[in-house]
Amino acid sequence: MSAAPAGASPDGRAAPRARRTALARRDPTVVLATLLVVSLLLLVPVDPWTPLTLLVLTVAAARAAAVPWSTLARGLASFGPFALSVLAVNLVTRPGAPVARVAGLTVTDVGVLVGTGLALRTVLVGTLAVVVAASLDPVRLVASLHRHARLGARGAAALLAAHRVLEQLPARWVAVRQAQAARLPGPRPTRAGALPTSPDLLVRAAFTLLVVTLRQAQQMAVTLETRGVGSGPRTVHRPARLGAGDAVLAAVAVGTTVVVGAVLWRLGLLETWASVGG
Amino acid sequence: MSARDAAPADVDAPVVDVRTRRGLTLSELVLLTVLAAVFGFLYWALVQAWGALQLAMGPFGDLAQHVLVGGWMVVAPLALYIVRKPGVGAVVELAAALVEVAFLASPVGPMLLVVGLVQGAGAELAFTLTRYRRYGWWVFVLSGVTAAVASTLLGMVRSGWHLQDLFALRVALQLVSGVVLCGLLARVLGDALVRTGVLDETALGRAWRARVARDAAAPARATGAAGDGAPA
Repeated sequence: MSAAPAGASPDGRAAPRARRTALARRDPTVVLATLLVVSLLLLVPVDPWTPLTLLVLTVAAARAAAVPWSTLARGLASFGPFALSVLAVNLVTRPGAPVARVAGLTVTDVGVLVGTGLALRTVLVGTLAVVVAASLDPVRLVASLHRHARLGARGAAALLAAHRVLEQLPARWVAVRQAQAARLPGPRPTRAGALPTSPDLLVRAAFTLLVVTLRQAQQMAVTLETRGVGSGPRTVHRPARLGAGDAVLAAVAVGTTVVVGAVLWRLGLLETWASVGG
Repeated sequence: MSARDAAPADVDAPVVDVRTRRGLTLSELVLLTVLAAVFGFLYWALVQAWGALQLAMGPFGDLAQHVLVGGWMVVAPLALYIVRKPGVGAVVELAAALVEVAFLASPVGPMLLVVGLVQGAGAELAFTLTRYRRYGWWVFVLSGVTAAVASTLLGMVRSGWHLQDLFALRVALQLVSGVVLCGLLARVLGDALVRTGVLDETALGRAWRARVARDAAAPARATGAAGDGAPA
């Protein structure tokens, strides 16, 4: 848990509010809803060609929207091991015609097809997740959810409070771990990577983190109640408005996914659970 | 031993409290969203451990998710144990998924919102069957089972687990992980948290204090009655 999540810097400070990608200018609720729909559509194909085609298109679109190569590379590096693991287990656990034997296990043709398809789907969805997380501004997201997803004023205030907590979690985690290290016998660690890693200490640190954070939640709830949050309707400082660009984004993303699937189906390359023997 | 350290025997029994029958208070909303944030963060950390375990298990690395799956569902029964109101489990699990997807970038992607909702609703089913009135160990065991079943059904739709040779093993691992890392761990965590006093203003905290007071009063009454010569 030493690495920092995408939403916060390693020292726990807030992530930069204004992200410079074209996606960041779109309404966050529309972005999330669009990605959810695309992810649901991706459940249908199990062949490798559909996710591969969409992955190429996603990378091209992300670059056109000024998403840095480093962000895309981080996604590929993070989700590569997952994809490899999905591929490995599917190779040897799917019924079908044997194509090879590896370490006493039989690799089947369906295993190769489905395994490659699911592995590429993992990379595709992971890449989409990284691009979105790097583009969403949490405050804009909550304001948009309040406006467009019927999230109540109290819920929006609570979610913003939780986001504030989330920003501080990495720094708080490191502080708890450093306090543990200071109490251990022997020389003190000189860098974060040298903090103790015994499971017992990690569990204790996680529990401490939970207790301290819940205490902070109590204090924040009192503060919100003192300021009248939850006592009636609230106004919004910067209303989230939907624009033509949001409709275009949703139409292009969903439409592209459907068209790619349709074209591959016409070419006889699209496979589903039903066609591979499900 | 202080009253807070004592372990009341019957904290799972229902406590008649009109406050538990109304909607969520602002304090409860903040508590739930903060729980979602913390567990979203811890879930994200568990994903890192998942990646390492997958690689270590080689060709059977895909099974690692079944070993750990209960850990990704624990906040639902924990939130229900603390707040004791309908819908809380599903909503807090959904919120934790939102934290993972929107703020931390999960490899599962936006589908995690669906996964979180299904797993949270599955974990909540056991409490719904008791009409949110019972919080004994068996309810938490049942919650782990129902959460695991819901998660398995979703995996069958998403990844065709039922078409693979290892389906029985997947189901068994899911059930064990659901019971241990989701159901039982939630109860253990809730009891540990309430002992710290951080949940004093919640339904669980009130139930805990009521049981502590009852347990403390019972021997006193018995002693007093015996001293008066009345039958104990």
